[in-house]
Amino acid sequence: MKHTFLKYIAAGILTALTVSISLHAQEFKIGPKAVQVHGFATQGFVYTSGNNWLTMTTNGDGSFGMTDMGLNASSQVTNKFRIGAQVYDHNLGQLGQYHPDLDWAVADFRVKPWLGFRGGKVKTTFGLYTDTQDLDSLHIFSLMPQSIYPIDMRDASIAHLGGDVYGKVRLSHNRGSFEYTIWSGHRSDSIYSGYPLFLLSKGTVTKTYGGLQYGYDLRWNTPAKGLVVGASRMSQDIVGTSTRGGLPNQEHSVKDWTNQFYGQYTHRNLQLESEFRHYCRDEVVRNGVAEDKGNMKSWYIAGTYQVMKKLALGSYFSHYTVTDTFPAMAQDTSLPSNHDYDKVISGRVDINRFVYVKAEGHFMDGYGQGPFPNGFYPQQNPTFVPNTKALVLRTGFSF
Amino acid sequence: MKNKKLFCTMTALVLFASLQAFAADVKVIANTSVSASSISAGDIKDVFLLDKDSLGGSHVEPVLARGGAAHEAFLKEYLGKNDTALQAFYRSLVFTGKASMPKSLPSDAEVVAYVAKTKGAVGYVSSGAPTEGVKTLQVK
Repeated sequence: MKHTFLKYIAAGILTALTVSISLHAQEFKIGPKAVQVHGFATQGFVYTSGNNWLTMTTNGDGSFGMTDMGLNASSQVTNKFRIGAQVYDHNLGQLGQYHPDLDWAVADFRVKPWLGFRGGKVKTTFGLYTDTQDLDSLHIFSLMPQSIYPIDMRDASIAHLGGDVYGKVRLSHNRGSFEYTIWSGHRSDSIYSGYPLFLLSKGTVTKTYGGLQYGYDLRWNTPAKGLVVGASRMSQDIVGTSTRGGLPNQEHSVKDWTNQFYGQYTHRNLQLESEFRHYCRDEVVRNGVAEDKGNMKSWYIAGTYQVMKKLALGSYFSHYTVTDTFPAMAQDTSLPSNHDYDKVISGRVDINRFVYVKAEGHFMDGYGQGPFPNGFYPQQNPTFVPNTKALVLRTGFSF
Repeated sequence: MKNKKLFCTMTALVLFASLQAFAADVKVIANTSVSASSISAGDIKDVFLLDKDSLGGSHVEPVLARGGAAHEAFLKEYLGKNDTALQAFYRSLVFTGKASMPKSLPSDAEVVAYVAKTKGAVGYVSSGAPTEGVKTLQVK
């Protein structure tokens, strides 16, 4: 086991190094216009003691079933107008299953710094990291705080087919600057994502899941150097179609909103941040027979420090609680089924400008079941245990 | 008491001198198509963090150095980010479709050559680097 594990990690790093050497950012021309090409790929290994995690068989043996990659091309057509698109493919245990996805495809017209428009499939600006949650090369952590950025539920908030109005305004009298994004569009979850897999454990086979999403993100770069504070809001009107016992089945939103508040402070090589999210989800399920009201409250506090150019360390505490009227016992957040408290320590080494390796320890209390999963699925856990420890190793490159 | 005053004065002078030297280690250059002859520290930050694409009515695009003393000094003085954080910032825009990656070049000579031939280009080089064919912007 140990020998195989080391062989996989060595092969991953070697592949990443080889590819990064041959694949620096590419630029070519179509007529007079330059086209930039960028990409990334990551490979992860997850070992747990306790529950199986993230739809992988991680308990005891560990799993290499954590791979993702993306490739994009973009071009600045005029001084104000830019187009681009990115393809994303991933596998996370039972999720993704290497079905490629158009991650984003945008036309962006920036009239002024304070007024721009984006249209197409657009990454959703919401809180500090919703739009970059799956870009592993940007982060010190291998897994972002799962209370707010659950990797198995990325489809719920990652992008919308619609448009944004955005801009940045410098405030007078040295009061900092203000950034806004107002957006609206259609969310469409892959049938290989977390919620359909969770429903499958209840005998429901999802056909489609998605609907209208709209919201905003407002952030203030305060006059205090390095301090950013912000707030986001998202409302949704979701419809899910499926079959249950071979018969058509539907669920739809009655009320579905999320509020998020955040702050981030950067001083030299130190970064501290915290976010709070309240997600209220009220859905009519089983063809109108039942109503499922869930309240998810999440927050985390995180700190990272760039110790030297190639080494960074970080830690966070992620806090997730869920209450649900369905089943009625899900009101007590002290139960391990209704919370997930995750203490994390992490380290990242940048081997060169393109390749990195990360190691991370998770110490989790609870497994947070509710109206949708939070990393722990019944399929991989016929019986849940209260606590889970995890080791996550991840290597990747981007160019 | 006298010694204490002298120590404080000397420390303040050394700090002031080193800050001045730091700021003077790098100069901001632009293509001759850029109409502005000076630039504020705030505008430098906005241009290099891709928040602003014009100066004095001219379209501008930032050009970065790929490492080196001038690069480190420039980041610390004007952008308030280290190189790792800056690269992560650019990548976060590039991989979410919100911007293109700015040009980066390995030497002062290449930065100067690129800025000289590229309409609207704004870059920075060591204060001692030759800057033929480009204009030096005074930092206000």
